[in-house]
Amino acid sequence: MGDRLRLNSEKKTEEVYKPSKATQLFIVWRKLRRSKLAIVGTVIVLSVLLVALFAPLIAPYDPELWGNPFRPPSLWHPFGTDAVGRDMLSLVIYGCSISLYVGIGAVLIELLIGVTVGAIAGYFGGKIDEVLMRITDVVLSLPTIMLLILAVSMFAVRGVHVIMLLMGMLGWPFMARMVRGEFLTLKQSTFVEAARSMGASNWRIILRHIFPNVVSLIIVLVTVDIPEYIFYEATLSFLGFSDISSPSWGILLQRGYIYFPNYWWMITFPGLAVFFASMGFNLFGDSLRDALDVTTRGR
Amino acid sequence: MDAWVPLIKHVCMQLVALVTLRTYVVRRLILLIPTFFLISIILFALIHLAPGDPIRAMFGPRQITPEVRERLTRELGLDQPIPVQYLIWMSNVLRGDLGYSYITSAPVFDMISVRIPRTVELMFLAEIVSVVIGIVLGVISAVKHQSLADAASTLWALIGYSTPNFWIGLMAIMVLAVGLGWFPVGGMKTSGVTFPTPFHALLDHLSHATLPVFILAYGWAAYLLRLVRSSMLEVLRQDYITTARAKGLKERVVIYKHALRNALLPVVTYEGYSMGFLLGGAVVIEEVFTWLGLGHFMINAATNRDYPILMGLSIIIALMVLIANLCADIAYAIVDPRITYE
Repeated sequence: MGDRLRLNSEKKTEEVYKPSKATQLFIVWRKLRRSKLAIVGTVIVLSVLLVALFAPLIAPYDPELWGNPFRPPSLWHPFGTDAVGRDMLSLVIYGCSISLYVGIGAVLIELLIGVTVGAIAGYFGGKIDEVLMRITDVVLSLPTIMLLILAVSMFAVRGVHVIMLLMGMLGWPFMARMVRGEFLTLKQSTFVEAARSMGASNWRIILRHIFPNVVSLIIVLVTVDIPEYIFYEATLSFLGFSDISSPSWGILLQRGYIYFPNYWWMITFPGLAVFFASMGFNLFGDSLRDALDVTTRGR
Repeated sequence: MDAWVPLIKHVCMQLVALVTLRTYVVRRLILLIPTFFLISIILFALIHLAPGDPIRAMFGPRQITPEVRERLTRELGLDQPIPVQYLIWMSNVLRGDLGYSYITSAPVFDMISVRIPRTVELMFLAEIVSVVIGIVLGVISAVKHQSLADAASTLWALIGYSTPNFWIGLMAIMVLAVGLGWFPVGGMKTSGVTFPTPFHALLDHLSHATLPVFILAYGWAAYLLRLVRSSMLEVLRQDYITTARAKGLKERVVIYKHALRNALLPVVTYEGYSMGFLLGGAVVIEEVFTWLGLGHFMINAATNRDYPILMGLSIIIALMVLIANLCADIAYAIVDPRITYE
């Protein structure tokens, strides 16, 4: 009996004092809901994610099924068919998962390196900071697409994984610079001083005190970086620096370009897909930036 | 005599400002040098750490005898340690010798210098178009905040930065060039035609440039539009705008003389990035419109793995972007009197 009482009261104090994650999410969602553009963005992002996840269930045909070539859009093939009669709609749906896979994969690489380096450089300063700033200077001084073309041409193997890796490797300095800036300001705040005076170790301060305050910035950066990576992947594939065996939207565009300007549907629909997805992510990212009250200066 | 004091003071301050500006420029120029060398080291390392050897790349699938391979290794200096190779290469670069193409054996420097003006022309025109469109639409959508015009230009900007520029290019070729026949499909001039006057040739050239220039400008114009709009909205909320209106000034004077001047300050800083942005865009746009500039050249070199050309291009482009960024910083220092030359 006594045990049960204690349990009950413990539960109550937890309910009162523990700031729940759901409430924070709810606050963000309430802010997001206010703008129509944010809702449009959220809906597009969610539907793109769903299409990517459930491509085999949604696609009307097997994307590798050959049939009548160069059919214009019709009731049976809403996006037409390609040079060997594959259904363009199914190809675009499957392409969604590949493009998104590359985009998210590159962002994960960027996150892993960028956040670690940025946190260390911002918190400890010194040599790491110097090196980081010089590297970002260099990466910033050349157009990204040019660096990517240069890097891709160095590899004997071509394919989505090479592109993903290179995009992440070239993308992290931006992330690191932003995270560094945030760490630089936050490490001088009173709550960090308080934590330090109570004897918290450096790592504890970084992980438990500063990092949670940087999460919103990271989330916003990730949502605006995903469409950028989808873009770069599409461009590189279009230019022929990828492997045609994994048909992302860029590869579909490249295939359509062979017959350009004939068979307009082969170029139009994959491009529209890129536009649609990146517009969704951009709208979502922009409204998330407002809702989370993050400034991404210097970008 | 007293009337002269403010004037003398003013002249002195101007002189001091000029001297500090000059030291600022000199300091920035000196800072440029280590960045440039760092870029060159990274690029050099990138090429030499890449899998596969350059002699293999030179000949592709063709077989070569060991004697030829040995001779080439010696001639190209590939038997030297990498730092020595870098020093040799760098001293050649500084003398304007960027090596020879693996494919055509032509000097890289000549091949690049022919193409620089073509790309610069494209970028220069695109810069003008994007600045005009970006500022005009940005001001309109800020002044007529939350109107139909604002919504339309915001949507236009959204499309601009959510669509790959090469795809807009393809769509434009399909509809405007092939479908309606308003513009040529690609290239830089109509070949096989003799023009009666240079003016006709210029017109022909400009009609070829129109589509690539506008499509290249689109993305940057969309970016500028958003920048001008938000900066303008910020300025229009300031007290001195209310004061200007309260004085009974015409709305046009308030907007163009009081608000726009201040709203354009942040835009000047970001203009420095336009160089990198437009160059990156030009790479793909040139390929789509067969505009034979640096971008088109780079994609060909990358496809053929012609490393000397890629190295030379990267070095020259990095230098161009570095100088552009420097110019933007200096322009900003001149425009904004509040800046401190730290």
